[in-house]
Amino acid sequence: MTTVLRSRFLRPSSVLIAGVALASLLLPPLLDSGKQTVFVLFTLYVVVTVGLSLLMGLAGQISLGQAAFYALGAYTAGLLAKHGLPQLLALAAAPVGSAVVAALIGVPVLRLRGHYLAFATLAFQLIVLTILAEARGITGGDIGLGGIPPLLPVLNQGQDSELDLNSPLVYCYVGWVVAALVIVLTRNLVRSRPGRGLRALATSEIGAAASGVAVGADKLKVFTISAAYAGLAGGVYAFFLEYLSPGSFPILLSIQFIVMATLGGLGEVWGAVLGAAVIVLLVQILQAAASQPGLPRQAPAILSYAAYGGVMVLVMLFLPAGLLPAIRQRLSRPSS
Amino acid sequence: MSALVQYLISGIATGCAFALVATGFVTIHRVTGVVNFAQGGFAILAGYVTFSALRAGLPHGVSELLAVLLATATGGLVGVISIGRRGTPLLASLIITIGLGFLFYAVEVAIWGDQPLQFEGVPGVFGLAGLTLQRQYVLIVAGAGVSFAALLLFFNRTYLGKIFTACASNAYAARLAGINVTRVGIAAFALGGLLGGLAGVLLLPLRSLTFDSDVDLAVNGFAAAIFGGLQRPGAALVGGLVIGVAEALVAGYSHASYQKGVSLVLIVGILVWQASRRPQAD
Repeated sequence: MTTVLRSRFLRPSSVLIAGVALASLLLPPLLDSGKQTVFVLFTLYVVVTVGLSLLMGLAGQISLGQAAFYALGAYTAGLLAKHGLPQLLALAAAPVGSAVVAALIGVPVLRLRGHYLAFATLAFQLIVLTILAEARGITGGDIGLGGIPPLLPVLNQGQDSELDLNSPLVYCYVGWVVAALVIVLTRNLVRSRPGRGLRALATSEIGAAASGVAVGADKLKVFTISAAYAGLAGGVYAFFLEYLSPGSFPILLSIQFIVMATLGGLGEVWGAVLGAAVIVLLVQILQAAASQPGLPRQAPAILSYAAYGGVMVLVMLFLPAGLLPAIRQRLSRPSS
Repeated sequence: MSALVQYLISGIATGCAFALVATGFVTIHRVTGVVNFAQGGFAILAGYVTFSALRAGLPHGVSELLAVLLATATGGLVGVISIGRRGTPLLASLIITIGLGFLFYAVEVAIWGDQPLQFEGVPGVFGLAGLTLQRQYVLIVAGAGVSFAALLLFFNRTYLGKIFTACASNAYAARLAGINVTRVGIAAFALGGLLGGLAGVLLLPLRSLTFDSDVDLAVNGFAAAIFGGLQRPGAALVGGLVIGVAEALVAGYSHASYQKGVSLVLIVGILVWQASRRPQAD
């Protein structure tokens, strides 16, 4: 019995995961409200990056428009909630909206072999940003969409003991729960038969097809799932900020998701978490460094471009599998 | 009527520049299989170098030549980094070119700042059949024409050009024939840098110069390049002209902000069309 317990529940990876979960649950109350906002965004980035990592690692495709699906989810949830739909339903509609759009553009583009998806998704994001900025009657254009109702109720409204649940601290846990759901879902997905087929797909498309994997359909599934994750994260983002504008979803955000996914390790659920954590910390450090007195006004921009570019190039050249596989390899090697 | 001719001419000129960017994509993709996301950056870099060279007092011609040479060298460098290591997978090479594009941004913002700059091309206008046209348009069309003629000669008549074609059609056989495919790939990147740089020095005097306008150039160039499935330079020229003219007409006859949508919708449209034509294209 003890050996079973030990082998099933006390494996180093299980302990580590439990530790990460516990630490991330205990962390938010220790942060000030600015850092809590960073934590909320981190959990949302984890959700998007897990999806993108799946797409890049399993389907071998790259999406330069993941922020567009994030934006679509955000605007779907924001607009529906603003026009009277219950907030939870609006949040549930966010991933659906992004997934439907992804399926529509994925059908033609994924039939082409090669890296057409990269530019098609880049073009798609530029189209989405243009539409969001031009459709002023619906989205508020460049001025933005305000007045999105909060996700959570205000308890005992109007009384002394009034408690607004929509604080950054509460959203830290909303984001945590969403991220945890996505991580569990993705782990099960990767281990299922379709997941194994997809892993075969990433290694050799022809080999996978010959072994009976429906290459085109499976690629489309992953692309759609990754878009749904981005849409879900976008939905939470809309309720968290209660305000949306096209400027919040630049191409740079899509690139940031790619950096997070490649840094952690493609096709690795926990790699996406690690990649997102490292980049969020790096951005915090860079912002602190760039706001030192005496530096030019462009210093933050220069540093962040250099960091994103540098990380992408160096990781691809020297750690092509990503951080997590490299760490795992180092640990499993007997120390001599 | 005269407005229409005016739009057509400006569209053809811009289209020629897009075609140069597109040919850069095609040249690199044919030999290496990599879609080079830094392609628009070569043009912007050449534009900035021309700006600084002119500011430093160098004459026209010399400044542009210097800029194109630097873009060529940068292209070669991008090639060395993205495909130089043996066994770099295609997806990795592609991500490396995106990363290098961002390093361009960092360097450009550090040197030239993030505000739009402007540099002079060929000044003046000329009259033709009652129309007034900018001389720069003529220069772009002539420059692109000469480049395409030179490319045609290069690919069909020179030994190096034939090596390029050999690597493009069958890299394995080319290696068996004693060709260093990686080195040819790096040369293809340099040629891509040259073409991008040419597009930059020709087109950018008509536009303002900002570090992130490479996205616009790259998207238009890519849309032109996929006319020929990223394989045929001739189709890229046609594609560039179609996009340039379509954008000029849209900007002329409707809202200028719809102009950018043209290439984006075209990209999606062409991809859908190609997918329906060739269910599993190579």
